[in-house]
Amino acid sequence: MKKPTEILKNTLITLTILFLCFLMCLVLKYIFNNSALVSAIFVLGVYLVSVLTTGYIYGITSAILTVLAVNFAFDFPFFTFNFTIAENIVSAIILLVVTMMTCGLTAKVKHHEAIRAERDKERMRANLLRAISHDLRTPLTTIYGASSALVEKYDDFSDEQCKEMLKGIREDSQWLHRMVENLLSITRLDGENVKIIKTETVLDELVDSVLVKFAKRYPQQVIDVDIPEDFVSIPMDALLIEQVLINILENAVQHAIGMTSLRFKVFTISGKAIFEIKDNGCGIPKAKLRDIFSGVYTTNCDVSDSRKNNAGIGLSVCASIIKAHGGDIKAENAKDGGCVFRFTLNMEDK
Amino acid sequence: MHNNKYKILVIEDEDNINNLLKTLLETSGYQVLCAKTCDNGRMMFSSHRPDLVILDLGLPDYDGMTFLKSVRKDSLTPVIVLSARTDEKDKVDALDVGANDYVTKPFSSAELVARVRSALRNSRRSTIEGKLPGGRFKSGSLEIDYDARRVFVDKAEVTLTQTEYNIIAFLSEHSGKVMTYASIIRDIWGYNDLNSTKKLQVNMANIRKKLGDKPGKSNYIVNELGVGYRMCEVDESFSSFKYICGMSLVIK
Repeated sequence: MKKPTEILKNTLITLTILFLCFLMCLVLKYIFNNSALVSAIFVLGVYLVSVLTTGYIYGITSAILTVLAVNFAFDFPFFTFNFTIAENIVSAIILLVVTMMTCGLTAKVKHHEAIRAERDKERMRANLLRAISHDLRTPLTTIYGASSALVEKYDDFSDEQCKEMLKGIREDSQWLHRMVENLLSITRLDGENVKIIKTETVLDELVDSVLVKFAKRYPQQVIDVDIPEDFVSIPMDALLIEQVLINILENAVQHAIGMTSLRFKVFTISGKAIFEIKDNGCGIPKAKLRDIFSGVYTTNCDVSDSRKNNAGIGLSVCASIIKAHGGDIKAENAKDGGCVFRFTLNMEDK
Repeated sequence: MHNNKYKILVIEDEDNINNLLKTLLETSGYQVLCAKTCDNGRMMFSSHRPDLVILDLGLPDYDGMTFLKSVRKDSLTPVIVLSARTDEKDKVDALDVGANDYVTKPFSSAELVARVRSALRNSRRSTIEGKLPGGRFKSGSLEIDYDARRVFVDKAEVTLTQTEYNIIAFLSEHSGKVMTYASIIRDIWGYNDLNSTKKLQVNMANIRKKLGDKPGKSNYIVNELGVGYRMCEVDESFSSFKYICGMSLVIK
């Protein structure tokens, strides 16, 4: 858990603060010819150390160092260690107790902050779950309603009506399937600090797999593909990136009204692979563009239209997947109409 | 034997899925047996000797993998794994243990029936024909002459390197079945080291280019991301080609 750089940083902070305190005490003693301020300054120093560093160890170490320094330099007899004078020992003990209590207190505060952050995360998770359950209910209504009607009153319906209802069932279960795939991606990410497992993935194969899956859902949609001729291999979690590409393509098909061309381009530039998906549809309103990746769930708008929410969760899943890969994702309106989704991945695994 | 229909054993604990599979397969002309647990499945397997098994992995008594392993000890009966687990690792594990195919839930009925047909045809071919002299493989406009070690697309010869030919021949011998990276590497190079997968992928990229495959189009070799490759089979009917290869066929 503790990295060498963190230890170095903490040690440096501790030493700097203590050194500054020591210097200050020397200067003040020279000016006022009096040691009255020494304890106060060192208590302040130790307090700062325990606030700025992580863990008890630095605070306590600096407390002990402080006691020794005060005894050595500022208590009579000056510049010798002397623990025989009762007054010095008492002041040393008081200093030690005060600093330890400060350490304990700041550690407690930090702990509370961590708990609160955790609670906020939990609350967000609960909100997301609530919204998702709400969204799952919509297709389930069709599936449950249509299928039970068919089971109970099969003879009352014409062939045409039966077929219509069955089509509705199929459509909404496919929608459910896509939703579940997105949820699965979220669990695969499992919190932002978990590192995803990247494997070298051949760009051709990724694109092939995406296009095949996409064609299954939207057989009518033509996509212009432009990828490098050379063999390109990118470290990634292929299933997740596949999900990102499908979500973005699907978003274009569902929301880019008036779209006549959909372009999918990948190119590499200075150690990065850039994926670009461009449509020539209606574009995205400015107000929406700003938090298009944050998920609609936080703002609670569009609840009435569940399909829009699906897009919302799809794009926010995209953003978390790309973030977990250490890349960037952006959406913008193109000058010549339509919008462009662009994300980058590093070609070298870091 | 009362009839000459293929017998399919379905091992699945969910009643609804069981019913669905039974109806689906029976209307496609197969005889269907059902088992709901691993133990029951093993019993049915040894007493009825089915031609094919459809196996769910999440069974109440044991994991489906246990069944697969015990069947593979002494039988080559094709097994299609039907599972809700979508991770590459689960797929690779099942295929490496000897599953012939891996279908994830939810599945489309047409796709499942196509996979069943393909698995049955493959097992028949490998048991009857084997590697006969003068053997040829044909799938759409792709043709392989095993004796001369030559490959043709639309009657025009494709120049391949030794390794490329070996890979394509290996895949064609198991056409319709997903071959994992590890199993291809084992067959082609005999050993597996850190760079093997990359080596295989580079070779595959060259093969695809030489065969004129384009991403997302109806290709001869389908890639399963993170799992392996599958040589497509073109069936007599267009529709099953479409489903086996998992893509829509553009008829020119």
